[in-house]
Amino acid sequence: MATRIQILPATLALLGLGIAAPVALADETCNSPYMTNLIKGQEDFVHVWTLGVKGLGDESDKLVTIDANPKSKTYGKVVHSLSVGGRGEVHHMGFTDDRKQLWAGRLDDSRIFVIDVGTDPAKPKLVRTIADLESKSGFVGPHTFYALPGRMLVQALSNTRDHGGVTGMVTYNNKGGYVARYDMPVANGGDGYGYDLAINPAKNLLLTSSFTGWNNYMMDLGKLIKDAEAMKRFGATMVAWDLKAMKPQKVFQVPGAPLEIRWSLKPGDNWAITAAALTSKLWLVKQDAGGQWQAKEVGTIGDPAQIPLPVDISITADGKGLWVNTFMDGTTRYFDLGNPEAPKQTYSKVTGKQVNMVSQSWDGKRVYVTSSLLANWDKKGADDEQFLRAFNWNGKELTPAFEVDFYKEKLGRAHHMKFTAKPGRQSALASLDGN
Amino acid sequence: MLRVRPSAACLAFALACIAAQGFAQSPLLGLHDPPVRIDDPPTPAKVALGRKLFFDRRLSVNGTMSCGMCHVPAQGFAANELRTPLGVEGRSVRRNAPTILNVAYYERLFHDGREATLEAQVWAPLLAGNEMGNRSGQAVVDRIAALPDYAGLFESAYDGLRPDAQTVGRALAAYERSLVSGGARFDRWWFGGERGALTAQEREGFAIFLFRGGCAQCHRVEERHALFTDQRYHNTGTGHARLDAARRPVRVELAPGVFTTLAPEAVDKVGAPDVSDAGRMEVTGDPADRWKYRTPSLRNVALTAPYMHDGSLATLEEVVEFYDRGGGEDPDKADWLFPLHLSAADKRALVAFLKTLTGANIEALVREAAR
Repeated sequence: MATRIQILPATLALLGLGIAAPVALADETCNSPYMTNLIKGQEDFVHVWTLGVKGLGDESDKLVTIDANPKSKTYGKVVHSLSVGGRGEVHHMGFTDDRKQLWAGRLDDSRIFVIDVGTDPAKPKLVRTIADLESKSGFVGPHTFYALPGRMLVQALSNTRDHGGVTGMVTYNNKGGYVARYDMPVANGGDGYGYDLAINPAKNLLLTSSFTGWNNYMMDLGKLIKDAEAMKRFGATMVAWDLKAMKPQKVFQVPGAPLEIRWSLKPGDNWAITAAALTSKLWLVKQDAGGQWQAKEVGTIGDPAQIPLPVDISITADGKGLWVNTFMDGTTRYFDLGNPEAPKQTYSKVTGKQVNMVSQSWDGKRVYVTSSLLANWDKKGADDEQFLRAFNWNGKELTPAFEVDFYKEKLGRAHHMKFTAKPGRQSALASLDGN
Repeated sequence: MLRVRPSAACLAFALACIAAQGFAQSPLLGLHDPPVRIDDPPTPAKVALGRKLFFDRRLSVNGTMSCGMCHVPAQGFAANELRTPLGVEGRSVRRNAPTILNVAYYERLFHDGREATLEAQVWAPLLAGNEMGNRSGQAVVDRIAALPDYAGLFESAYDGLRPDAQTVGRALAAYERSLVSGGARFDRWWFGGERGALTAQEREGFAIFLFRGGCAQCHRVEERHALFTDQRYHNTGTGHARLDAARRPVRVELAPGVFTTLAPEAVDKVGAPDVSDAGRMEVTGDPADRWKYRTPSLRNVALTAPYMHDGSLATLEEVVEFYDRGGGEDPDKADWLFPLHLSAADKRALVAFLKTLTGANIEALVREAAR
């Protein structure tokens, strides 16, 4: 499959950058299209952004590095742990455009940790801590970190005013300097909520989705379910933005908290898919015959009445399949996206008592699953397993490759994953001209 | 006793505040003179310092919570979006966050009345592990003292005194006491003699409130003013209802108009057990006080949903229905609670009346809070 190289002069001009760095389509299927250094072969490490747990180990949030190369002597083992201090509801991470640094956020205290994974990915090092998101923007809960040329676009979840769901996006430069804020729309059907974002450069389109504010994502899940007032405070929209202008163009009504957004990476495709967590529905965002962007429900995940809670999705590099993790029933599901208008579930496997993130290698041969959703949403008692589980996928069956028990290792709650390769190997693997 | 009628200086300060807020109508109409501490009269510097502290998230152990996160100005200085609030790291708080509007008038504080002064009360959430999470008062004081933007503010407000447990409490209390809000449409009609201030339906609602509804037994209206509370503790049956709540299926709204029902066992898998709440009995130890809670003022009640000590009723309509049924199912509830047999029109009128209790200066207080 050929990989496009795209340059967006207008975007670069918009961002005030005089450079014309080559930008490539996403690697490992979910990252920013402005990121370089794809890993199309075997990843060496999986980095797991891990929530500290009171009374466990050093109790601190940490980046856990696990050897994922079967040829390594330490395959499947924890090779490094970088504690960042305190507990602040760690959640997601994103690479800078040069893939040398990971930006890792915390949803509670809004701190952003910039971690060097380029120098020696086996031993990530903390470069700086950004602590001014709240004071500069008034937003709380940095969630998605999405590389732009020389900058990072950050989607927040909440605000300092009332800890509700009205929020916005922020840009920082790669040195950690605050640049600008963009409010999520509250007019023309907008609810002001945010969650994920994903860019289709060819269409100058930024898509955003919507979740909920601090009050809800920090609340005990049982308490939340019983609080009818709080349950009304979930996002029900996606927004199409003019990327160059960073202006909202159209609000789509997508009830039930649409979460991760994945654009099809197949050349020529111009559609994105998301899963609404509460209503357990798949939604497709695509242009209609008149060229207008529309969002429509295209599928159901499990039995919505039981609230399976689809919490993460991972699209295959060819846009033909989609992994979906449902938290409540601990199931990893595969949907055939041959016709994205009508996804069909073709495989499922219970991969844990609770599962959250699912990440696949670019070649689709390896699938990784972690367990923690949010500290206060995770299951209680014996169902509160915390792990990274690696599987091999032959197109028909997930077979276990290795597993790290995050409680047994006294690490914490395993959440977001990112892959790296050793320097040297990375460039060999990261062909920009296709494979 | 520190609560006294205001001195001329205090009244002058209150009037200055009123003038600054640009009210056409006195926010004190319908209220008696706000109590003040004779040994600590309010000044603009104290109120401004208290306001800064009140909305400062750095006062919590991890910098995520301020007093204002649970007493949100734009939400009636309460929290409309959840039944009971959260503290640091999302820890559960078992009781609804009450409005702090007119809190100066309360003789006892908290739903169970366990504190008598605002100066003492403010330290409870600062030190509660499930609220602002500080390990000690001194830790809070030290943190404030080290913040450059507080340099000189305590000394200016308190005659050279530095931040300490006393001055922090006094400043927060000074701001909270400044949140006086009367001058509602009801006040203009009942106390101000403005005949057209209420509609016929609202006037009918007030008549039901006084007589057939019996609401004024606890939400009292005096001859020259009305705080709409008797400052006492009552068991309305709400506390008892919590006993069964954990055993009932839960109807969940997944999206507007999309519902499902979960078995309690399913909810238990992802939820911590409910924490018990015995009400006033936790303070007095007297079983007769079990599930009794302080009567809240009804001023600004339209702004302060959800209602009851546990936030279990979402709307004023639900509250009226609750009392029309005679309160909760508790056999030990107050004996003056019985079915009212109000008509649908009566209930609408009662709700319409309750909505006339919104103070004239709310918008000004919200603006001031954002300064």
